[in-house]
Amino acid sequence: MVEAVQVQLKKGVLELCVLALLSGGDAYGYALASRLAEGIGMGEGTIYPLMRRMQADGLVETYLVESQAGPSRKYYRLTQAGRARFEEQKTEWTAFSGAVNAILGGAQ
Amino acid sequence: MTRQEFISRLRAGLAGLPPTAIVELTDDYETHFADALAAGRSEAEVAASLGDPDRLARELRAEAGLKRWEADRNPSAAANAVFAVLGLGAIDLLVLFPVLLWVAGCLLGAFIAAVACFGVGAVLMVAGPFVIHGAPMAAVGLAGLGVMAGGTCLGAVATIVTIGSVNALVWYGRLHMNLLRPALENQGSNL
Repeated sequence: MVEAVQVQLKKGVLELCVLALLSGGDAYGYALASRLAEGIGMGEGTIYPLMRRMQADGLVETYLVESQAGPSRKYYRLTQAGRARFEEQKTEWTAFSGAVNAILGGAQ
Repeated sequence: MTRQEFISRLRAGLAGLPPTAIVELTDDYETHFADALAAGRSEAEVAASLGDPDRLARELRAEAGLKRWEADRNPSAAANAVFAVLGLGAIDLLVLFPVLLWVAGCLLGAFIAAVACFGVGAVLMVAGPFVIHGAPMAAVGLAGLGVMAGGTCLGAVATIVTIGSVNALVWYGRLHMNLLRPALENQGSNL
């Protein structure tokens, strides 16, 4: 059960991280995957199912960009709803992590 | 594992999804390989970091099945979602199967009872007053109506319980999707 909770926790945080990365500029799959893999140690294959889910939820949209080498790249960009979700989740995360830190600090 | 092997196993595992979805999904991973190779990584390394393609395909298919159930709640989508979760193989089938059979059996019984009550009530209401003598006609008719209402009520409750059980199974299945397992293991080794 602990493991299941961890999975759910990471899934929630993962969405927030993707929203944060995209709020700084549009990105393509590999760039997102490698940033998240080195940042929070996420499995690289995870990003694509997540992006599909976020696209289905209307948080991101895609467009193709011709690349000089190989096939054209699919870029992701935040929608209006995605931006709103980011602000909302960022506020929640800041409040939550602040509260947890306060408790951790008190337990020294 | 080579890039070709990974993609063909993924594609084989996705069979059954709409063709456009399969193309989109495999394209994502094809591009991932191309970008990773351009960044100087080997095919084997990339395949290893992406995880088991069979497992990935099962979870992508399961997610599609669950999405369908959430979009339209009909019996076929429900069956689809149940099989999608079972197909994940994440749940201990030996434990779950008897429970699932028991719940399905009870619900089937309830549905049959509901239909039977409705039918008996209808007959009692229409024919009862003429067949049963010695009781006031209105009382027999009302009793029939009451039995019909009881049947309808039972049917409605059974439907609600069915939807609830499928939702619970979907929630449980999502919780056990293993797409994030590599992430957890990586984190464990870093700590």
